[in-house]
Amino acid sequence: MNIPTMITVRGYLKLAVRGERVELFINALTEAGIPVWDVKPTGMHAAEIKLLLRDFWSLRPLLKRTGCRTKVIERNGLPFRARNLWRRKAFALGLVLFFALLTALCSMVWDVQVEGNETIADEDILAAAQKEGVYPFQWIFRLQPMDKLSTNMTARLPEASWVGVERTGTRIRIQIAEADIPEKPPLMSPRHLISTRDAVVTRIYAEKGLPKVQVNSRVKKGDILISGVLGDEENSQTVVAKGEVRGLVWHEYDIEVPLVKKHKVYTGQDKERAYLVLGDRAIQLWGYGDIAYAKHEMLTFYDPFTWRTRQLPFGWMTEKIMEVTEVQQTITAEEARTEGIEAAKRDILAKYGADSRFVTQKILHDKNENGKVYMKVLFEVEETIAKELPIVYNQGE
Amino acid sequence: MSRISRKLQNLMQEVLDLPQDLMFDLPRLTLIGNKELHIENHRGVRHFSDERLVLALSQGSLEISGAGLSIQAIQSHEVTVMGTIHHIQYSETGEKP
Repeated sequence: MNIPTMITVRGYLKLAVRGERVELFINALTEAGIPVWDVKPTGMHAAEIKLLLRDFWSLRPLLKRTGCRTKVIERNGLPFRARNLWRRKAFALGLVLFFALLTALCSMVWDVQVEGNETIADEDILAAAQKEGVYPFQWIFRLQPMDKLSTNMTARLPEASWVGVERTGTRIRIQIAEADIPEKPPLMSPRHLISTRDAVVTRIYAEKGLPKVQVNSRVKKGDILISGVLGDEENSQTVVAKGEVRGLVWHEYDIEVPLVKKHKVYTGQDKERAYLVLGDRAIQLWGYGDIAYAKHEMLTFYDPFTWRTRQLPFGWMTEKIMEVTEVQQTITAEEARTEGIEAAKRDILAKYGADSRFVTQKILHDKNENGKVYMKVLFEVEETIAKELPIVYNQGE
Repeated sequence: MSRISRKLQNLMQEVLDLPQDLMFDLPRLTLIGNKELHIENHRGVRHFSDERLVLALSQGSLEISGAGLSIQAIQSHEVTVMGTIHHIQYSETGEKP
């Protein structure tokens, strides 16, 4: 009530006044229009008053006139704080520097993260971001608005159909939605298609190139089936020959199949040994003793200790020793033959392509000797016979 | 102040129903419990101690006695007194400060 405003900012003093006529001094103050407050009598001829720092220097004539003396008891408010701080310059400087540094570090991009890219390299995206002014240690206030950045980044990265840029604190997140770009066909040099082996052509289909043979013609290994050179001698162009050529091929197989087969069968009896592995040394922990089985198989499992994804040089090793017995199985000669032919057919399919078709098979020779069936079988197979041969230009002529 | 002008003033006051403190320069006291006393139209402090505060008025003086008295704020015509107030005594006679 009636106290001047913002006394802490303007600074105020608490004075002890003593003198014969303190009342007179107070009256003089009010007449001079100097605001004072919290006037407390402390004795017969003494009082405490508070007044603004601004008015302190105008007290002197009043004091002289009323014959009072003052003593400053308290100094309060910003001007005195500022003076104290000025005395400790290094401290004040540190204070200011601290806040300045804190503000500076908070208004800096520290981290740029890229998300959602599979085929575009992170480096390319970061390079594009750098051109847009998004890089670590960049001032945040120098960044363009996020929606503008996002548009510019999308323009810079043609492989991306959308780029989202988002800032959380000092971290920039770039989200990429990649565009589906059709795969380019691999570049191929001009070529012929030639025959892989002697055959009779059963089917020829030239997607590109000039077919040189017809169905039912006999070709030798290395003959050109589909030529990659188009046109006549004067006007010619080389292309990548492409197509499908199938032909009848004969394969001769010598087959031997034993009539008695031996199988290994687990009896179910087993024994385990455990080791502690340290480096390249294994210390057996349990499972000592001889192996009591006549025949056995051993399975070894090594389980190294890992730290995150790194393998440590020690771990557990277990060996499982399982008893096996041999079982003999006798088959008839007829079964042995079918088995042998099936095995040969599987071999052909594996070697010459799964789309091979068996046309005929002929057992040329067949004998049963020493507990084995020996056969010579001729297979007539329709299979793909085309192979690429690059066209090499004659140089120097 | 002459008799005529005083009569005129009294008449004005009666006719216009103005508050007396404005018309006759009388003090206006606002007392809140026994804790706070607000006095307008004083003419300065005559005596000031813990138990006793004497204020000069345009006519006479006002003596306030109590315990732990202090002037919370003072301006040329207003004063706010805090503390425990026991007596407020008016005395017509009194020399000017």
